[in-house]
Amino acid sequence: MMAKKILCVPLDPVHDVGIKIIRAELDKNGFITELLSPDLSVHEIIKKAASRQYDFILVSRTLGYGVAELLASFIDQLDAAGIREKSKVVIGGKAITPQLAAELGFDKGFDEHSTIEELIAYLNGSEINFKSSGINRCKKDISADHAYKFFDKEVEKLLNQIADKLLLFVKDKTTPGVERAKIRREIIHSGSTDSRKKLVKKYIELCDAVIVKSYSDNQFPLAVRRISESEITSLKKFLSEKNPIHSRKIQHNEHQPLVFKFLGSGCPMMDIVHGKICERSGINGFLIINPSWEARYEGLLDGLLTHQNDGTITSFGNIKLIRDSLDKSTLLTVRAHRGLNTPETIVLAGEAGADLTKINLVYGALGAGTDPLRLAVDGIEAIKLAAEYKMPFDIPGNDELSGVPAWKTLAGLLINVMIGLKLNAKPVLKPLFCYGPHIVINKLMSENYIDYNAAKIAALKNIVDAPIWPGEPIAFMTQTEDRVQSANSTSYHAALAAGIGVDAITIASTDEAYSRGPISVSSRLDSIHAAADGFNFMGNSKFSTTSNFELYTEMIQQKIKDILRTAASKDNLPEAIYDGVLGSKADGAYPGKFGLNTVAKK
Amino acid sequence: MDNAISHVLDTIDIETYIICKDADEGKNLAMQLGHEMNLGNVDVMYSEFDGYGVRVRIRKYVYKPGDKYLWMEK
Repeated sequence: MMAKKILCVPLDPVHDVGIKIIRAELDKNGFITELLSPDLSVHEIIKKAASRQYDFILVSRTLGYGVAELLASFIDQLDAAGIREKSKVVIGGKAITPQLAAELGFDKGFDEHSTIEELIAYLNGSEINFKSSGINRCKKDISADHAYKFFDKEVEKLLNQIADKLLLFVKDKTTPGVERAKIRREIIHSGSTDSRKKLVKKYIELCDAVIVKSYSDNQFPLAVRRISESEITSLKKFLSEKNPIHSRKIQHNEHQPLVFKFLGSGCPMMDIVHGKICERSGINGFLIINPSWEARYEGLLDGLLTHQNDGTITSFGNIKLIRDSLDKSTLLTVRAHRGLNTPETIVLAGEAGADLTKINLVYGALGAGTDPLRLAVDGIEAIKLAAEYKMPFDIPGNDELSGVPAWKTLAGLLINVMIGLKLNAKPVLKPLFCYGPHIVINKLMSENYIDYNAAKIAALKNIVDAPIWPGEPIAFMTQTEDRVQSANSTSYHAALAAGIGVDAITIASTDEAYSRGPISVSSRLDSIHAAADGFNFMGNSKFSTTSNFELYTEMIQQKIKDILRTAASKDNLPEAIYDGVLGSKADGAYPGKFGLNTVAKK
Repeated sequence: MDNAISHVLDTIDIETYIICKDADEGKNLAMQLGHEMNLGNVDVMYSEFDGYGVRVRIRKYVYKPGDKYLWMEK
């Protein structure tokens, strides 16, 4: 086949950058191109176009005042010169739309979001079928590149002591949460209606009254309602008719972190539609956040459920609906460590096909309200289940937001890592990129936001080779209700994460600081674009730190050791938590009370 | 033609600058603007008075999670 000849025309008095870039791509793809200079008159361009047999005349022009008239006149003169009988005329540029191009008489128009692939497909006589373009990526395993080797042997020894004592301590103990998880698994796998009924009866004997009512009388708490069959039919129809086009990547290169977002609007259908739109813009995974009231009740609701409050209800139906609706390559995490349903949440997540879960025995008992002893027993069972379902679990360090110093939080994260490793699970460290109370009071980030955040990561990397996923979200407590400031803050922190080299990040939305209403999809897209810009800005480069970075790294690492020494001197982890070793009342952290006195001997 | 607002996925955010004498007047005018634009009650998400007026971000929740979404049924 003969190579097609293209005349590239910058119909502009000065600018020809865009058409130069396009020309270079066309040359690479085997087209024969000629580029005119940007200062030619329409008459000179027509003369040139008439001088040879071009297959296409490719015009580049940004639309502005009077430009439509100029373009219409250009087309008229090409017609008059008989050029359109031998050449197709194509236009591209800012503010050009395919519709406008057609109205002006061009054979084809491309806007600023069009890709070079679309242009080439057109020049070759074909069109890209965007309806089938999909998301086009592979699912990634966050833990794959890490050997969990400890570089700091003293820390390793201390963690071994703490984890061994805890595993021995909980060995002969159980809770209603542990027992319900076993029954829930049987319910999911139960074959007959009769056996299911018997199991549900057994299950609700271990639940609080408010949950029992939902099973016995179909009465739900706090305006929760079932999603109707017609709503599910509409959702499925909606999803089958919509497909992502021009799917984007947030990462500028393959070394940059995966990017996660929260879902938890209260309605799984809204979560799914938000999720699909964010997937198309490159989000790699989501964390389902549940309502805070779930934490204080024994037992979980069942079925496809929605409500007009924060947090999407944890149920097998809801998790499975979200999992099945998202792209196969999208990772899904389910938060498990808050409240009295930790092991059962892992069962639901694992059975519904979630990829990861979230467990922190320390934070869950300090910042999230559960009694430390109860969470120790539930948490160990949950980690065992996570290993069984092959779900890595992330360990969020959100106790820093209560005022706990970073080194205590990080010591807690490392304790969870060692427990996870002993139970054959894949733990993921999740330190915060935040401007927490301890940091504010001690002016640790008053000079810049780089040194202290980077020092936390460096301290962890000096101790162990484990996956690191700063969250939750990055830039926590740095964002205001100003949309642009919020997007910028996400962008800078995303760039910092990319420069430091971490495995994943969680990003907020530009309405994160607006706490009086649900998050909008536009605000989600704002922050996704901000993170992508941050990654693009950084590439493979790094931020430069000041001398404080080394001081902070050394201080954090040393203090982690001090905390672990004290924790190891205690009889068990719950005792260390009750005694304030990993966050004290003076720090602003209080041991939780949900599930107090509910631990029993097996 | 069915109405466009029922196609909005969740919210309409409007950002603008309103000349006013103080922060309170700025907020009140922002809310009044919502009514004048036939949006009914709007939330003032962000408002900063700088001596001349307020830069504001107002939001109308067209659908909140848990509502019946007309765009899903079209």
